Amino acid sequence: MLAACLLALLAFQSIADEEIGHKIPPGYVPDDARDEQGLWMEFEEAERKLNQSALLVRDADIVNYIAQITCRVAANYCDDFRVYVVRNPNFNASMTATGMMQVWTGLIVRAQSTDEIATVIAHEIAHYTRLHSLEGFRNLKGKMARGSFFDLTLLALTGVSVPVGQMTAMTSYLSFNRQQETEADLLGVRLLANAGYDPHASYRIWRKIIAEDEAAVAKSEEPGIFSNTHPASEDRANYLETWVMAGFGPPDAEFVPDEAFLAILNKHYLFLMEDQIDTNRFGRTQALLEHHAQIGVEPSLVRYFYGEMFRQRGYEGDAELAIAAYRHSIEGGAAPPEAYKNLGYLQLKAGDMEAARQRFREYLEIAPQASDRAMIEFYLEEEQ
Amino acid sequence: MMNNRNLILLAMLAGIAGCTLPAYSLVSAGPYAIEDLQVQAGGGWNLSPAAFTPSARANAQTWTQDGPLLDRLVFIPGVPDGDALLNVNEQSAALPVFRKDMLPNEIEELMESTIVKVFGEGNAAVSTSNLRPQMFGDTRGVMFDMEAKVTDSPEYRGTVGAFVANEKLYLMYYLAAEPYYYGKHESAAKAVIESARLVAAAPE
Repeated sequence: MLAACLLALLAFQSIADEEIGHKIPPGYVPDDARDEQGLWMEFEEAERKLNQSALLVRDADIVNYIAQITCRVAANYCDDFRVYVVRNPNFNASMTATGMMQVWTGLIVRAQSTDEIATVIAHEIAHYTRLHSLEGFRNLKGKMARGSFFDLTLLALTGVSVPVGQMTAMTSYLSFNRQQETEADLLGVRLLANAGYDPHASYRIWRKIIAEDEAAVAKSEEPGIFSNTHPASEDRANYLETWVMAGFGPPDAEFVPDEAFLAILNKHYLFLMEDQIDTNRFGRTQALLEHHAQIGVEPSLVRYFYGEMFRQRGYEGDAELAIAAYRHSIEGGAAPPEAYKNLGYLQLKAGDMEAARQRFREYLEIAPQASDRAMIEFYLEEEQ
Repeated sequence: MMNNRNLILLAMLAGIAGCTLPAYSLVSAGPYAIEDLQVQAGGGWNLSPAAFTPSARANAQTWTQDGPLLDRLVFIPGVPDGDALLNVNEQSAALPVFRKDMLPNEIEELMESTIVKVFGEGNAAVSTSNLRPQMFGDTRGVMFDMEAKVTDSPEYRGTVGAFVANEKLYLMYYLAAEPYYYGKHESAAKAVIESARLVAAAPE
């Protein structure tokens, strides 16, 4: 582990010593290289499909919020990018060589501020201006061709068919990819700072991802955030912090609530967290809720989802915790109608019919058009 | 998870390997028993081979009219307390499980989260609506509707029927591509779901 960290730091240092800049000008289009043109055609086709995706978030305020951050970070490159916010509860963003950038909603629920969203976007923009998609494609193609030639030669000379060459090529490619990620981290931090965002956000967001991962119930087996193509989160947070501290000095001690970010989160919190709840990953959900309570998301909404998380998790004692959370949510004055309904269901289950009826009535008063009205009325009539 | 891509891949691999693919079989119209769950089958339904639904519970059945990617009518009988609606042993899948004291809203959520896993986590946003009481024979249960927005796919709509008897969950759902296929078989599928009732299990 120590050796891995040292290697990561050494690799980081060698890259950090170089001046990492943009490789292409704003408004870049491919030259005559056929492989690059082919890659662009593939990405353009992918973008046509993405435009039709039912999972695209089309709310103007979310899309404009992300697009404005992108433009501010991208500066002269602003017109090169099309921003797509995709409904996916996992943490990710991506960029193609053509400037199609995807931001998953899982990033929004994991960030603490606009600065943290900007750091991920800056990283993606750095991939674009460094031509990482194209170089990664060419690197893989060349290595696989040499690996295949080696394997065929080995087969011809010895009669042994073992894909040593291809496996070595893939290992080498993954290393190349990690180097690209580190480059994008470093250039991204510069873009972030140049745009007036807090460069310390670059490692803070990774610390939160690490904390969430530690809270996951099945952390070693869960898919998603970490892979062989990226530096480990711990290494990443460490080298970014070292570099930012050296280049920009220590951070402000005080956390300042980010009103613009909180407004977006509060307005869309229900669908963002319902997607998270549907993953059935309660350790991660609980870590996110603790984070949201700390940064000042509307308490009634956070408490409502605590109720949802406890109720659906169903451990011993969770029903009582859920009842308390729903009550706190309602007392906060901004609970969604479902807080009344689901509290009523829990009271029904606990045998407190009168309390349940009262909550069901309140639910129907607040949400008279509720699509499950027939179900609620059934309980109201049945228990009379 | 066995998503649509895996299904196609399985069929292609089997074809390339020269295997004889398991075949669909026509479901005879009339009373049809799946263990102690009985439904009235209408015409035109085809029973999918178990090999095509590897993540289904052993006693579950999938019927279809135009192919399971376009429409599927699924029966999951007798799920005991603590079991998931799918047969996946990986802990990392984080499947939701049935609990015998679940109320209608919780069965609705169980289904919602399960369908997210069917399509692959992150590949689908699933919502439910119109939760309503429904009698299945003499047993009180519920029905509700479902929508799934899916990556690289048409949207899906669905209808779910469920009841709890003898501390076990019996769940039937119809899920089909929207537009066209959902509406094409909607009334036939709902008729089958609404006909569901518990009968004495056949002696072994």
